Amino acid sequence: MEETSDRLNPTTDTSGLMPEFDPKTMRSSKPGLKRLFITAIVLSSFLLGLLFLWKSVEIYRSPLPFNDIDSLSDQIESTPLRFPCSFHAVFVGFRSTDPDKFRSEIQDGINQLTHQSSQCGSCNFSLSVTVQNPDDHCSKALASDPSTCSYRCGVIKRNVLGVGLEDSVDESLNDVFSGCSGDSGKLYSVFVVNRENADGKDEVKAVVGKRRHAWIVGNGLEERYGDVVARVSEIFVKVFMNGGREEDSIHGEFMPVGSDGRIVLSFSLLNSNPRDWVYDWDFQRIDESFLAPVTKALAPIANISVESQVLYHTPKSSFSSWDEKLQSYIFRTSDLPFFVNSNEWHLDTSAGASGRSKILQFVVYIPSGKECPLHLQLPNGEISKTNGFISPMWGGVIVWNPRNCDKDSGSPSRNTISPQDLEQIVEVFLGQFRQLFGFKSEAIYTSGLGAYQILPSKKGFTEWELDVLSRKHTCFNLHSCSTTLGSLSRLVQSLPRMIIKDEIGEQVKYSLKAAKLAQSNASLGGYSYSASSSRKARSLAEDAFFHPSIMSVSYFSYEHCFAVYSPFFLPVLGHVFLAAWREWRRYKQEKAKYLTWLTRKKTA
Amino acid sequence: MCKPDQYHSLYKHHFLSPELRDLLRNARSAVIQVSDRLRRFSLDPIMARLVLSLITLLILQSVWVTIAFESKHVEEFSEELLLKPLPDRKVLAHFHFENRAPPSNSHGRHHHLFPKAISQLVQKFRVKEMELSFTQGRWNHEHWGGFDPLSSMNAKPVGVELWAEFDVPQSQVDTSWKNLTHALSGLFCASINFLESSTSYAAPTWGFGVNSDKLRYGSLPREAVCTENLTPWLKLLPCRDRDGISALMNRPSVYRGFYHSQRLHLSTVESGEEGLGSGIMLEQTLTVVLQPDSISGEANIQPSWSLSSLFGRNIVGRCVLAKSSNVYLQLEGLPSHELKNVDPETEADKFWKNAEFELSLKPDRILREINSFLYMFDIDKSSDREPFDLGLTWKLPSKWSCQQAPLHSTRFLMGSGNERGAIAILLKATESQEKLSGEDLTNGRCTIKANIFQIFPWYVKVYYHTLQIFVDQQQKPGSEVLKKINVSPSTDKVSSGMMEMMLELPCEVKSAAISIEYDKGFLHIDEYPPDANQGFDIPSALISFPNHHASLDFKEELSKSPLLSKFKEKSLVRSYTEVLLVPLTTPDFSMPYNVITITCTVFALYFGSLLNVLRRRIGEEERYLKSQAGKRTGKLKQLLSRLKAKIRGRPIEEAPSSSTESQTEVQSSVFSSKLLFKIILVAGAAAAWQYFSTDK
Repeated sequence: MEETSDRLNPTTDTSGLMPEFDPKTMRSSKPGLKRLFITAIVLSSFLLGLLFLWKSVEIYRSPLPFNDIDSLSDQIESTPLRFPCSFHAVFVGFRSTDPDKFRSEIQDGINQLTHQSSQCGSCNFSLSVTVQNPDDHCSKALASDPSTCSYRCGVIKRNVLGVGLEDSVDESLNDVFSGCSGDSGKLYSVFVVNRENADGKDEVKAVVGKRRHAWIVGNGLEERYGDVVARVSEIFVKVFMNGGREEDSIHGEFMPVGSDGRIVLSFSLLNSNPRDWVYDWDFQRIDESFLAPVTKALAPIANISVESQVLYHTPKSSFSSWDEKLQSYIFRTSDLPFFVNSNEWHLDTSAGASGRSKILQFVVYIPSGKECPLHLQLPNGEISKTNGFISPMWGGVIVWNPRNCDKDSGSPSRNTISPQDLEQIVEVFLGQFRQLFGFKSEAIYTSGLGAYQILPSKKGFTEWELDVLSRKHTCFNLHSCSTTLGSLSRLVQSLPRMIIKDEIGEQVKYSLKAAKLAQSNASLGGYSYSASSSRKARSLAEDAFFHPSIMSVSYFSYEHCFAVYSPFFLPVLGHVFLAAWREWRRYKQEKAKYLTWLTRKKTA
Repeated sequence: MCKPDQYHSLYKHHFLSPELRDLLRNARSAVIQVSDRLRRFSLDPIMARLVLSLITLLILQSVWVTIAFESKHVEEFSEELLLKPLPDRKVLAHFHFENRAPPSNSHGRHHHLFPKAISQLVQKFRVKEMELSFTQGRWNHEHWGGFDPLSSMNAKPVGVELWAEFDVPQSQVDTSWKNLTHALSGLFCASINFLESSTSYAAPTWGFGVNSDKLRYGSLPREAVCTENLTPWLKLLPCRDRDGISALMNRPSVYRGFYHSQRLHLSTVESGEEGLGSGIMLEQTLTVVLQPDSISGEANIQPSWSLSSLFGRNIVGRCVLAKSSNVYLQLEGLPSHELKNVDPETEADKFWKNAEFELSLKPDRILREINSFLYMFDIDKSSDREPFDLGLTWKLPSKWSCQQAPLHSTRFLMGSGNERGAIAILLKATESQEKLSGEDLTNGRCTIKANIFQIFPWYVKVYYHTLQIFVDQQQKPGSEVLKKINVSPSTDKVSSGMMEMMLELPCEVKSAAISIEYDKGFLHIDEYPPDANQGFDIPSALISFPNHHASLDFKEELSKSPLLSKFKEKSLVRSYTEVLLVPLTTPDFSMPYNVITITCTVFALYFGSLLNVLRRRIGEEERYLKSQAGKRTGKLKQLLSRLKAKIRGRPIEEAPSSSTESQTEVQSSVFSSKLLFKIILVAGAAAAWQYFSTDK
């Protein structure tokens, strides 16, 4: 239509009513919309097609709960997890009738020791104090939220406690509290028994038991009242809350538990030169009788499995020298970094352990005839009693010397390590294992105010130590879970072309769920539940982060996409845009011409 | 000396007590039953008492037997070495290590001699039997033997071969196999994990020699075998290569050889008792064929050698953990008619020091076989001062030949081009006197049976209907020679094809050939290996002779040597063919982008011109051109016409008035502005791209 109208223009001009009609600036007919319409349709369908294409090359990304992850890590950063603990101090044989004074002083002492810091995994404690006067009458100062546990007055007689063996005392204290249920936190108690003894020995004995009790027994304690209160608060903080560990000596990162919550204890007996002598052991018996209780006790913290092997031809890689005075070969603490011979000690394990389990190597090294007996010399010149050392996060080494270092000239003798020797070795192992977890291996804990005797448990870890481990472990697990999830969410957000399978989404979801559960369990005081669910949270988070599908497909990048599609879309888009733009410009021009003509006509 | 005994007894108590109790209880009930029955038959009471006492005696004896058997319930290790001069002036050394773990419940957890890693592997993947071999070089069946237990067990295909039988439900076999390949590839530093994909393994039913539906077989012909595979293998030995016979394994001399095959075979032995796990037997062998440095000038005398000249090392003592450590020297084809008459008791020296050859050490024992002698040496006596250095010196030229398999097999490719081809397997009769031993005389016809087992990768698309069989160069119908055939065709990119066939050939056959045609498939661009132009390997075919069994038959009573008892067992005669290299069409790997670019350009051109046609106004353009005609001509045009005129040698035509001329001129000016615009557009796009790409 337009062409015809254009062609008609001059004729209308000549015949025209309007002599001032200028064909360059005016037109008499309305400009047509046909071509503009066509190009607009092409352009819009093209843009729609682009959207479709975009949708078709889009990759599947399972929606991850980014907000929940952020809120979890914020929560863990801002409010460190604290567990409810109820402390109960019982003063037996004290004439004072003001338990509130005791309570406030102990409270002050505790606050002073904790420096008001709210470290993750510490106790959110409630303190109650009972004072039992010599006539077995009690006065109590209970915590603001009294727990279900209460001390039955008069159960402890002032002259009975601390008389017998410590173990039996520990057992008897366990029955003192009635109505205790394990739900509402753990009850830790300290008994202070002021004895009036005729012999008048000025001896104060402080013992920490296997369970959650400690007792201080002595004469004339009421006179040394301030000292006693300080020691009670010290027991509460340093022993029951921190587990007798040095302040942050072992950080959470050094918790020797694999990220899937498993530990493999790999025991190796190394015969450094079997030509001199060959030793074997009956490890299965040790496993059943000594290690099974330990693994059972640690079950909420880690799933522990035990393996053993005997290796031969495994010389150590450091040198030792003969010491005439000690009549033995000596290796020093400076040699320890070079003791483990990674070339010859094929400790590697294990097809049974999945990739992320923590493997702790425990090695019994039997020296060859050329270096027997072999002893570790401490920096102070003494011989180490355990003759072993640990390497954090790796394990421990014990040097075990045969009874008789003279080797027979004939064929090497094949022996079995006697059960007594093996028991000693296992005891050292347990000490090393405790050290790897950050506990002391000695039975005495000394602080500024005096020494405390710590009763060892057959399980390797006492109950209050296990509580400390549970608390620390929960805390560490939750922290590691939140950092792992946080880095996963950052990674996912920074790589928009990465496929995220539903599995990963599920794992993240369950991990968050388990973390929430651990937090709520922790606030309720369910130590082992919170430890195991935090373990689950961490292992799920690690599973999601190390999911094999993440690594494989992150290479389909925008560059690739651009290289494949630009040869078509760039030229075609150029054409289409240009055409649409030109048509639009032309339409505007023509419309202006028409409008000027119209105005001219109107004015005329 | 009493300490080991204590140890044993401790073990015995540990393992025996419940079982012994059971046994005794059974015995008691049996005795009661028997006495009841005797009473019922009212036999002579004296007789009855006698019978009773006899039964109790028998039962007691059986208990003692079990106790004796129980004493074997400790982990045991033995090391052995077999040396054998070969007819083609080479020497074969076969190391054999055996490690047994008794039935126990603590497998995978507590071990004394047995490698923990292997035990955990068996426990975790429920492996019933497994064999893994790493081989370099090809076994020369003609010169090194094809009909003895050594060659039938240790002549392996090039690269890695793995087969495993599992003790899991049928549906889990493939999963177990995949996990096992990954574990093994980590353990042995090899790319065994490539066997994980279902296109690279097969499930043989009967052609492999082991009849089980839970068996998987796969091989990687291209795997390069070197010292990094040997070191983890040695790590499984209690003495590694520090002591004992394995101390001989000097890497340069081992890998300098003509053939090198390291093998690991493990099998579980059911204890047959309730509640007790199964025992594991691990057999590790290393077979090397070495060329001794010949010093003697005479050409026909076999080269003399000693252990130190072969390996560059000596044995300075046995591995103290080994129950037995022996070295054997096998001499074949001796002038036996001379030696056979010699009495081994009186003239023992003649066996090892005679006119023909001389051994440097006196053998501890001499074992006679049908056509070979086996000298046994105990290396217990050797020490640092007096290393065990066995040597063999030839004095006279001697010549002998090895026993051959009934048929010698080769395989080759036929056809040319990148499209299709054919695979042929040729079986040739050998001059073997053993041929008669395995022939089948059923139906009054003397026949040799041969099993062929072959895996085809899916990109070699085999047409099974083109199978042709030629016997003595005459084509035979399948029904005549083909006894059994089992074919599982390949599925593209999913599974490999497998062919098992049993041929029954007449004994007097000279040659037999089978050929089968195939098309070469196309792979997806992602599926090509990095060196695609090298070609693709078709794994070796396995030819086995089900009626022929090789074994060494010793005249003397055997000592308890695992190696010799292994040789005494009848083993299936088998040989592997060559690996074939099939060249496939390989694309230019940058091609997809080229194709994309060209197609896209064509599409863009088409699209653009279509759009132009749609929105063109022909009438308007013509009028516009007319109006422009009178105006001055473009500079470019002037220049062009001037140039044209100069070339043509004509004077310049000033201001041509034809309309066509002006039209082209206008077009050129329009063209130039368009061009300018396009350049700007492209530059803008490039700048934008640069900006966005550097921004991220």
